[in-house]
Amino acid sequence: MSAIIAQRAAIAAALTLTIGFAAPASAQDKDLTLAISMRSLSNPYHATFAEGGRKFAEAAGLPFEILVTEGNSEKGLADIRALISRTGGNVCINVDPNDSPDARTIVEEAEAAGAHVVTQWNKPEDLHPWDHNPAYVAHMSFSGIGTSKEITNVLIEAMGGEGGIVALGGILSNVPAIERKQGMEQAVAEAGGAVEILDFQPADWNETKAFEIMQAWLTRYGDDIKGVWAANDSMAVGALEALRQEGRAGEVPVVGIDGTDAAMSAIEAGEMAGTVAWDPMWTGGMGLSLCEAVATGKLDIAAEPEEHREFYGTGIVVTPGNIADFKNRDPSFDYNDYWAKSTGQIQY
Amino acid sequence: MKLRAFAPIAVLVLLCLMIAVFSPNFLSVSNAIRILNAAAIPMVLVMGATFVILMGSIDLSVEGVVSLTAVVTASLVQNNLTSADLGYWAVPIAMLAGGAIGAVNGATHVLMRIPSFMATLGIGFVCLGISTAALGGFPVRIADREFRNITLGRTFDIPHGVYIALAAVIVAYIIQQRTRLGRWVYAIGTDETTARQSGVPVERTRILVFALAGIFSGLAGALAAAQLGQGHGLIASGRLFTTVTAVVVGGTALSGGVGSVLNSVVGVLIVVVLTNGMVLMGVPPFVQQGVQGLLIIVAVSLALDRRLLSVVK
Repeated sequence: MSAIIAQRAAIAAALTLTIGFAAPASAQDKDLTLAISMRSLSNPYHATFAEGGRKFAEAAGLPFEILVTEGNSEKGLADIRALISRTGGNVCINVDPNDSPDARTIVEEAEAAGAHVVTQWNKPEDLHPWDHNPAYVAHMSFSGIGTSKEITNVLIEAMGGEGGIVALGGILSNVPAIERKQGMEQAVAEAGGAVEILDFQPADWNETKAFEIMQAWLTRYGDDIKGVWAANDSMAVGALEALRQEGRAGEVPVVGIDGTDAAMSAIEAGEMAGTVAWDPMWTGGMGLSLCEAVATGKLDIAAEPEEHREFYGTGIVVTPGNIADFKNRDPSFDYNDYWAKSTGQIQY
Repeated sequence: MKLRAFAPIAVLVLLCLMIAVFSPNFLSVSNAIRILNAAAIPMVLVMGATFVILMGSIDLSVEGVVSLTAVVTASLVQNNLTSADLGYWAVPIAMLAGGAIGAVNGATHVLMRIPSFMATLGIGFVCLGISTAALGGFPVRIADREFRNITLGRTFDIPHGVYIALAAVIVAYIIQQRTRLGRWVYAIGTDETTARQSGVPVERTRILVFALAGIFSGLAGALAAAQLGQGHGLIASGRLFTTVTAVVVGGTALSGGVGSVLNSVVGVLIVVVLTNGMVLMGVPPFVQQGVQGLLIIVAVSLALDRRLLSVVK
C-alpha cells in the first residue's frame, strides 16, 4: 500500500516538475486574467515570448498565467478550456497554437465564453479574425518567404555572389519550414545560375542532426561548399560546429533564422554571416496589449481594417555589419501603439 | 550457429561496400574520421544501454540524463551564466551526476517495483524538466576553448572524442568479461529466477547497472556539451532512438541475456554509416527514413536466431 502511495507521489512530483510552470490564479479574481500559451519553455524563442507577456501583465498590473502544450494539441486545448471556464470568460489569451487546426477550436471556445484571443504563427488560411468579432482579436506572424529570401541574399553576398550552397531544412511538414525553403529557393533562382543548391536535407530543426549531415556533406562536396543555409539557428550552429571540428569555422559563411544568442555571438566572432531576429518580446507583449484593449473596451476592433487584424511583425536581418547597432537598439516599445511594428497584412 | 555471431559485421561491411560503389569518397580517410567522430557520443551511450538491455530491462532516460549532465557540464566550465571555472573537472562531476540519476532510476525500478520502462521514462522527464526550468529555456554557452578540446582537439589527426569513446568501450568490455557484475547481468537476463536461486544479488545488480548506464550517459552529456559548445534542454533530442536502435541492430536481444558490448560497437557503426551514407548517395530525404527502417529490420533479423527465442514481446 505504502509502495503505491510513494509511487503516486513520485509521479505527481515528476508531473509538477515538468509542467508546473503555470501558477494557478485564484477563482475569486475579478480582474481580467492575461495568459500566454505555447509549445514549451525549453527554447529561447518561446521563453522570450512568455517573458514579453509577463512584462505587459506586470505593467498593466493584471494576473498572468503561462500555459505549455508540450507539443500536445489535446493538452493545449484542455488547458485553455479550463482557463476560460475558471475565469468565466474574463480572460485574454495570446496563443501560439500547437497545430493550425487548433486555432479554430480555441477561437470558437473563446467566442462562446466571451473571452478574447490573439493567435501567433499557426492558423488555418480560411479562419479570419474579422469573421469572429470581437472574440478573435488578431493573428500575428512573420513572413517566412520574405525574410528567408533576405537572409539567403545575405549568404549569397558573403559567398561573393557565386558557388554551391548546402541547405538544412526544418521538419518537412511545418509551415515555417516550407516557407523558409521557398524563400531560399526564390533567392537562389534570382541569382540566375551563379548559385547552385548542392543538396537540401531536413535536419528537423535539430542541432545534432545538422552536425551529422554537415559532416557527410563535407565528404561529399568538400571545398565545393561555398555557403551553408539553415532554416533555423540551432541547425546553423550544428553545421558551424561540424565546420569547427575540421578547423574550418569562419571559412565557409553560414546563415540561420531566429536570432538566438548562440547565433548572435557566432556573428560577432565572424563565424556566421547572418540571422533573422524575430521579436518574441514584442509578439508576447503586444499580443496581450491588443487583446486587453479590446477586452476592456479601449479599442473597437471590429472597426479596424483587415490589415490590422492579420499582420506580419518585423524580422530584422542581423549581419556582422549591423550587429553592434542591433545590440544597442532600444528594445522597449509603446504598448498603446499597436501596429507600429507591423509590416503589412498577411498574404496567403 | 557461430556464423550468425558475425552477421552484424557482415551487414556493416556490405553496407560500406554498397555506399562505396555509389560514392567513392566514402572510403576516404577524412570520411572515416568523420564517421568515428559522429559515432563517439552514441558509442558512449550504448555502452551503458547494452548492460541494461542484456539484463532484460530498458533505459529510456537517456535524453533526460544527457541534457541535464550537458547543462551541468556547461555550467561548471567557463560560461556565460555562472562564474564557475572547473575545466576538465566538470567531466567527472557530470559522470557522478549521471551515475546518481542512474541509481535513482534503478532504485525506483527495483524498490518501487515499477517496470524499468516507466521508471526511466518518468525520471528522464524529470531531468528534462529540471534542465529546462533551471535555464528558463535558454542555453548555457561554453566560453572555455581549452575545455572544448576534449572533443574538438586532435591527436594523430583523430578527434579526442574518438579516444574517449574507445576508452569507454574498453572499460565496458572489461566489466562485461572480467567482473562478477558482468556475469550477473547475463545471469539475470537469461533467467532471473535461476539467478536468484544461485545467489546472484538481483536487486543490487539492477541498481548498479542502472547507475553504470547513468555514468556513461553523464560522460556522453559532457561530450555533447563540449562538441556543441553549449548545454540546454533539447541538446539530446533524438539520442534515445539511436541508442536503442544501435544496441538492437548490433545483435543484443531486447529480451535479455544475449549480446555483448562489442555487438553494440558494430551496431553504432551501422547506424552512423547509414546516416552518413544516405547523404553521400543522395538518397531523397523522404525515402531515407523508409530505407533506415527496412535496414534496421534486416539487420535485426540476421543478427539473432529468432527460432531460439521462446517468447517474442
